[in-house]
Amino acid sequence: MRFDIPRPLLVRLLALAVLVLVPAMALLSWSSLDHFEKGLAPEFDRKAVTVGRDLGDDIERAVGYGIPLDKLVGVEDYLAPALEANGELRYVAVADPEGKVLYILGADSRDLEPHYRSTDYDDPGQGDVLGGRSALIGGYVDVAVPLVVKGGRVGHLHVGMDAGYLRHRFGEMLTDVGVLMVVALLLTVEILIFVVVVNVSGPLGQAGRVFERVARGDFSHLCWFGSDDEVGRFARRVNAAIRAADDLFRRLMAYVDEVKTAHFDPSVVEHAALIEARVRFLFRFSASGAPKAEFERHGIDVRLALFLFVFAEELSRPFLPLFIRTLPAPPPWLSPEMAMAVPIAVFMACIAVASPWAGAISERWGSRRVFLVGLVPAVLGFISTGLATSVAEVVVGRAATGFGYALVTMASQGYMARSIRSKKSRTQGLGLYIGAVLTASVCGMALGGVLVDHIGFDNVFFTAAGMALVSGILAHRLPDPVEERRDIATPGMRDMVDLLRNWRFTVLMVFAAMPAKLALTGVVFFLVPLSMAGQGFGFGDIARALMVYAVTVVVLAPLVSRLADGGGWRAGLVALGGLIGGLGLLAPAIGPGLPPLLLALLCLGISQGLAASTQLAVVQDICWIECRTLGQTYVLAQVRLLERIGSVAGPLLAAVLVPLVGYNGAIAAIGGLVLAAALVFAAASFSFGAGPHLSSEEA
Amino acid sequence: MGKFLARKVAATLVLILVCTVAITSFFTYSRLESVLSSLVESRYGVQLYSVKHDVEARLGLGFPLKQLRNIQDAIDREKLNDPAILDIEVFDARGEILFDTDRGAIGTLVPAEWVKSAMVGGALFSHPDDDARAVGLPLANSLGEITGGVTLRYPAAYLDNELAPLIAKLAREGLLLLGAAAVVAMLGSYALFRPVGRRLAGMEAILAAPPEERFLALDADASLEERFEAFAAKTREAMDHMREASEDVERLDRLG
Repeated sequence: MRFDIPRPLLVRLLALAVLVLVPAMALLSWSSLDHFEKGLAPEFDRKAVTVGRDLGDDIERAVGYGIPLDKLVGVEDYLAPALEANGELRYVAVADPEGKVLYILGADSRDLEPHYRSTDYDDPGQGDVLGGRSALIGGYVDVAVPLVVKGGRVGHLHVGMDAGYLRHRFGEMLTDVGVLMVVALLLTVEILIFVVVVNVSGPLGQAGRVFERVARGDFSHLCWFGSDDEVGRFARRVNAAIRAADDLFRRLMAYVDEVKTAHFDPSVVEHAALIEARVRFLFRFSASGAPKAEFERHGIDVRLALFLFVFAEELSRPFLPLFIRTLPAPPPWLSPEMAMAVPIAVFMACIAVASPWAGAISERWGSRRVFLVGLVPAVLGFISTGLATSVAEVVVGRAATGFGYALVTMASQGYMARSIRSKKSRTQGLGLYIGAVLTASVCGMALGGVLVDHIGFDNVFFTAAGMALVSGILAHRLPDPVEERRDIATPGMRDMVDLLRNWRFTVLMVFAAMPAKLALTGVVFFLVPLSMAGQGFGFGDIARALMVYAVTVVVLAPLVSRLADGGGWRAGLVALGGLIGGLGLLAPAIGPGLPPLLLALLCLGISQGLAASTQLAVVQDICWIECRTLGQTYVLAQVRLLERIGSVAGPLLAAVLVPLVGYNGAIAAIGGLVLAAALVFAAASFSFGAGPHLSSEEA
Repeated sequence: MGKFLARKVAATLVLILVCTVAITSFFTYSRLESVLSSLVESRYGVQLYSVKHDVEARLGLGFPLKQLRNIQDAIDREKLNDPAILDIEVFDARGEILFDTDRGAIGTLVPAEWVKSAMVGGALFSHPDDDARAVGLPLANSLGEITGGVTLRYPAAYLDNELAPLIAKLAREGLLLLGAAAVVAMLGSYALFRPVGRRLAGMEAILAAPPEERFLALDADASLEERFEAFAAKTREAMDHMREASEDVERLDRLG
């Protein structure tokens, strides 16, 4: 097993993580289910006895007036409301003392009568509960309450409950635990990647490069280490050896200098100079007087911090429009749909406006500082949204968070872009950023939907604020920003116009990037939660449905990254993604229900998976010149800016469409728009070719 | 060997596990409390429905709520059915208690939010009330007008008492599982990182006694050990060279 590359160790660690987490959680859940079923059974029986007692009182009164039990009229009609009002009740039956069923509602008497006839209710035994007797008959918990008139038992009233009711209720809990398990494993993957790269493979990989330099005779670099573990100790020993060689060199040079300047014999001076020249020819030592350790940037350094931040932001994804709907009515000039859409659109608009600026200051101030500065508005935004009592306050809170989000994500993207050594792996490098964002989306959406059921809207936002602060602690340990500070000229509006004059870039933005984002915010963030809530689904269900989208992208994105890195027709992949997404979004037009929505989310996931990182690679191909004249970060920031126009338009367009065609109709309408744009892009993409365009515009 | 890296990774895994178990326990407790409380409330709802039925049948005869007879007996009888019930009270639209199993409370007012919930009509409502929880139903006359409500209070500790043994049992099992998982995490981490420590220690030993000088061609796929071997050889070569060069300079210096 190699330790200087992360994968082998990581795979084994992940296996260990699964071994530690999964059995423990599975056992705990199974044990909870078992205990709760047994623990709640008495309360379940008490409920049945209360219902039986309540119904039995009236029957006893009627029999007390002299009507024989088997001659009562309208008993089923009398029992029906009780059955309707209590969801866990499956049947109510009245039986005579011999166990013959006289009246029954909700079950077949043939299933129950044999049991009633064979039971001796006079014989006290197992299953006696306060005022009745409980027994398990097939899939029912049957509680028999005696009907007593003038001291004599005239029969029994049987209340039958679904034996699986409690298991079903706790099944919902198991779903929550399952979701939590997935989130925990994904989080573990992120943390272990960080731990392995930062502590083992990163330092050892860098040490390997120092060894290569030394093997070539270059003693000017030391190994970097930041810990006192085995790797740290090893690096210290290696550095001590390099320093020892450096020390001998410096002493030799000092001696040679002394001989050269002070010796009276020119032949000795000449010999000393020859020795010096030979040493300098064979070996290279630091010119600055001592070898230096250089911190080597890894995209992974910032990935965990970025992951936690995006995780925090995504927590509100499954319920944001529904949260806004619970606030007091918006002003009359704002429709309820628009009131739910505006905070999402404002959030996206703030990201769009702040991203180019954030990209530029990230180059100037350094990633760490910009990341930390971005956390301030983001955290304040989370808190103020949690405390909001009106739509306007939510808009302000989301605007602040959007501004912070732009700073944090651009700082992270800049850091990762600068850490990529090989140009060949640029798509994979961008995949690192996209991978972190997407995995965080899956975790955030999933956990947010479960959390909100347990702790409420406001506390989810406060939790998000706490997580964002933790991401700040991680970002704080990134390298000193002074080392990476670069003063670059900020491109202006004219440069943006130049960029847009590259027709391939404009076509890519207008017919691929913008529609993709429009569908994402309009459908995934806005319409699907509202459509599902309208059909009676809970937050957990909404979150799990949204996960279909996010998981599809997470699975596809890295595969497509490799495919795109291998060359080929990248624009074709983007076009194919658009077509699949557009067609899939038409599915909800078929009708209500979960399957069409899931199909739409799956297709949109495939679409984004195919297009997300490929689009960025296409940009670098078709803007080869611009990336070099304006800077890659600037060009990518403009891509983000233009994409966000689609993001802003998505919820607003959806809010306009909903009153006209309903939620599912709006999804299909957006699907039609995406499909039309994809067809235009597909036609245009034939002239994109493959590989970099060495001139920005030939025509 | 390997103890520091192993400790770091084991601590990370255990921390994640503790957080996951803590959140799971919270979810479980929350779900359990919600299921139990809905069962208890719906059971008391059945009892209240019986009282409501009685009262509304009499209201249907045209009597005002305040002048109804036998209501006090009906609520006393319901209270006797379940010793956990603290009291049952019937109040009018202003919130004044007209009948109460705790007779001392008659004539006093119920909290305003109870009245508000009752006046909405329809479903069973519930409210916390100091150390108790109250569930209630609205009362309507034959015209469908809400004329008041009937509420039943039970101790909030009732849920805690029901849940406590379950939670204690689960906490014990959770801690045992955590302990076992922590042991697996530690053993697994030690097993995984022992080779790292061993190989680094082996490489350190090479530094003390470097291999004989020989040409080590490093290709791009050379392992860390191969690269380290080349490093150690070159370091020794450089140091030997430097020492020899120093001796040469010294000899020259003396000769001169």
